[in-house]
Amino acid sequence: MNRILTACALLCVAASTGCRTNASSAATSESTSSSGTDAPRSAPAAVAGPASLPDGRYTLVVHGMSCPKCISNVELQLTRIKGVVRPVIDMQHGFVVIEVEGGTAPTKLAITDAVIDSGFTLVEIRGGGR
Amino acid sequence: MPRGTILVARARAAAPAPTRVARRTAAALLALCAAASAAGSALAQEMPGMPSATAPSPGVLIPRVQARAWFLEGDQTLLEQSVRLEYGLVRDLSISAEIPLYQGFFDPPRPSDGAFGLGDTDLLVELRLLREDLNALDTIRASVFAGAELPTATGGFADATLDPCIGAVFTSISGRHGVDLSARFTFVTGDGLDAPLFLTDLGEDFVNLDAGYGFRIHPERYGEERTAAWYLTAEINSVWTTAGQHEVILAPGLLIEAPTYAIELGVALPLAEDLEGDRGAAPGLDFALLAGVRLLF
Repeated sequence: MNRILTACALLCVAASTGCRTNASSAATSESTSSSGTDAPRSAPAAVAGPASLPDGRYTLVVHGMSCPKCISNVELQLTRIKGVVRPVIDMQHGFVVIEVEGGTAPTKLAITDAVIDSGFTLVEIRGGGR
Repeated sequence: MPRGTILVARARAAAPAPTRVARRTAAALLALCAAASAAGSALAQEMPGMPSATAPSPGVLIPRVQARAWFLEGDQTLLEQSVRLEYGLVRDLSISAEIPLYQGFFDPPRPSDGAFGLGDTDLLVELRLLREDLNALDTIRASVFAGAELPTATGGFADATLDPCIGAVFTSISGRHGVDLSARFTFVTGDGLDAPLFLTDLGEDFVNLDAGYGFRIHPERYGEERTAAWYLTAEINSVWTTAGQHEVILAPGLLIEAPTYAIELGVALPLAEDLEGDRGAAPGLDFALLAGVRLLF
């Protein structure tokens, strides 16, 4: 019985921590555009930049890429988007330069989702290279 | 009898004690290299010997292979190799299974029929609760997980019970510094082993408390070049049972991480231990070696 009570207590602590975390993360996301775990799939307007990306070169400002493997994750997710090619990543400054070609005009939502799915935060999309 | 056993047995008969230790170490290093070269992969900046609050992307499967050689009191050398498969279910929710591939006494003072086998499989569901990316490089992440040790072990390597567990892990990376903290509570439903190998085999509920620090020694600053990062790591890994037994280990290591692969090497040294259980005592740790290879496809 003691073990069951201990387990329940630990689960409650974990769950309540999660609720608080999600709430604060959502608030942060709204106020600073720095998305947390619940970064909005349906509200990419928080990310500065154009709604869709016609052919050309763009710089994504991405936060949280802290290790070399992050490069592979971001590349993997971004190049799954039709028309996005040749990502070049500058980790120190958080820049991901991509080229869009083929007239596919990927949306800001798709780009945002790809970056979040790779585990990081998209802050801004800038037209052109750096 | 396995070839390694024959070699070690011959060496023991002919060589003085220091030579035996050197041969044990050399044999285990060779075995570790062979085991680790079986490849595998994982994700992100993870300490070699403890969990990190990292998770694969949705739909991505990440295998990771590690091999360990435990040099235990009583001149026993236990070699184990496992693969960890981690799969991203949806954003921030992943499932993982750590599956033993091999466990055996390389230098066994026990009957050959009990010298080789498999350990339990660890099945976990992990939910990331926090991801706060502070700037280009710095991030804070936290996850909770729950699961169970499945009774897949062969006789003598774990008891045939399903042991639930819950835990939490926190990761912070700031510039060249990384910190991991992890706690995991396991509810042991069996009575333990008659001849326990580790503290976790005594049949008592136990908690793992781990803390790790990593320092990036190269490069000092990242650039556009796809260079590998080198980290010095130091972990404190501890196990505490509800009956008061404990084992605390210091584990320094080296992690080399490139965009598509990582190599991890580590040593484990005992700091404190109380391994006496009601049904016997687990052998103390002289030291342990760890090697792992990770690839990101």
